[in-house]
Amino acid sequence: MTEQPTHRTEASNEDLESRLRTAGLYVALYGAAFLFLLPYLWMISTSLKPKGQLFSQVPHWIPSEITFAWYRQVLTQSLIVEWTINTFIIAVSTTVLVLVVDSLIAFSLTRLDWPGKNVVLAVIVASFMVPTYVNIVPLYTLVSELGLLNNYLAVILPLTAGPLGVFLLVQFFRDFPDEVEEAARLDGFSSFQIYTRLVLPLMKSPLTALALFTFVTSWNNFLWPLLVLQSNKLYTLPIGLVTLSNSQVFQPGLAMAATLIASLPLFIVFLMLQDYLINAIQIQGTTG
Amino acid sequence: MNVDRETVEGVLFALPYLLVFSVFLLYPLLKGLRMSLYDWNPIFPSQSEFIWFQNYVRMFNDPVFWTSVKNTFYFVVLTVPPLVVLGLLLALGVNREVKGQRFLRAVFFSPYILTVSVVALVWMEIFAPQYGLLNYYLELFVASAPAWLSSYLFAMPAVAIATIWWTLGFNFVILFSARQNVPERLYEAAKLDGASNWRMLRDITIPQMKPALVFVTIVQFIASFQIFGQVYIMTGGGPGNSTQTLVMYLYEIAFQQHEFGYAAAVGYFLFAVLITVSLANYFLLGGDQ
Repeated sequence: MTEQPTHRTEASNEDLESRLRTAGLYVALYGAAFLFLLPYLWMISTSLKPKGQLFSQVPHWIPSEITFAWYRQVLTQSLIVEWTINTFIIAVSTTVLVLVVDSLIAFSLTRLDWPGKNVVLAVIVASFMVPTYVNIVPLYTLVSELGLLNNYLAVILPLTAGPLGVFLLVQFFRDFPDEVEEAARLDGFSSFQIYTRLVLPLMKSPLTALALFTFVTSWNNFLWPLLVLQSNKLYTLPIGLVTLSNSQVFQPGLAMAATLIASLPLFIVFLMLQDYLINAIQIQGTTG
Repeated sequence: MNVDRETVEGVLFALPYLLVFSVFLLYPLLKGLRMSLYDWNPIFPSQSEFIWFQNYVRMFNDPVFWTSVKNTFYFVVLTVPPLVVLGLLLALGVNREVKGQRFLRAVFFSPYILTVSVVALVWMEIFAPQYGLLNYYLELFVASAPAWLSSYLFAMPAVAIATIWWTLGFNFVILFSARQNVPERLYEAAKLDGASNWRMLRDITIPQMKPALVFVTIVQFIASFQIFGQVYIMTGGGPGNSTQTLVMYLYEIAFQQHEFGYAAAVGYFLFAVLITVSLANYFLLGGDQ
């Protein structure tokens, strides 16, 4: 066959090669996806295991008997429900505050003209360079001087001060059509009305992106709440989980049940709003 | 008149953000600079002693500081290249018209939404020496396996593996969208010229994706350089100081030893490195185009 290279065999060789390549691609991609899913599967499997199998040297992917005892224990004997509520309160407040405060200043910087606004924007953009952890020591002394230790405001306000949202919204508000704004002004709209009735409704998608991004960031915030929240009852989920695995007699089943409960809310958000969330990350990538 | 009114409005709209920004970002930044020049007294700040640059001198003579710098760079080397390269490979793979594109995208991205404590606890289960998942299979196929998190040699790579699983999705999503934005006509033209896949990757895909690759590399460097949660939970900086990183050390100096002035100095060192590297990356890699 190979000795008579006709067009047909060449074509089918190419065909075979491209098929092999496609097969290879699928094996690689789905293999990688499988590896990515393994930690989740192990998490679920461990959380459902009876005590006897938890420390077994041979992994039991499917427990001999399925038990919900760890879930019951976490829910009844720890503060995980309170921590979830705390985290939720903090994440929602942060998100609302960021949306309001950032959209107000972004509106001011793009749609209104006032002396010094370019300097203000430049300072905000430059503050991108400040890494989160540089500020923790002076911020901690400040928060403690203000008497905000053990107060949710101490967790919320530093996240609100971040420049990302302002930067993001400025990019979008700039593109708001001038004609629409001028027409509205001729109709007697005040700046505040233009902001609430025109800009906010038309800028829904960058605002949603910012909201999701802020919510997830706040929900997962770790070091800062660990420093400023000092009572068990006020903890957020990320720090609660760690104290849980430190304080009780160590049980993998308990730890995995707790991590699953803690991840569930964000997973639901993720499954419902996957496209928006990924979009938010992409926007961040293209504007950064 | 009109101008005045717009100025008043402009300032009013900007005020709420400027207030939080000044109090919770700018002021601490300047205060930190000042603190770094003092032997700061955490209980009676007014009794703090001005000591010029002694905190910085101390830092440069502190062997644990240098160990943590070294460990931090080691972690950066262990995580940044794989995160960028694997992110790119996945992005290019999923970009082909594969079945289940949405499913794959969701799978690769999903760990990114987990909190660091969840990631750390799950991987501690996987890396556990006696009953851990990983070592069972390693011993089955390879031979003996290390006690990952308590091993001088393997603790940092273990933290790096968990981190790669956790954050790869961010890079993947950004590189995937950058790849989707490469105009298809470039490939069509190249195909007409009989260009190989490899040449198209080298001459079209990579150059077109360069801004995204630069962005991902810089962001990843900054993130990896500030690693804290994973080591805090998984190893506590140990064994010995083998996973002690800069932020971990800063945390210990400040909140266990209560040396705020010294910690502020370490914070400023961190700041200086990140600014230098970001700017260098930006200009060297041509991110300004």
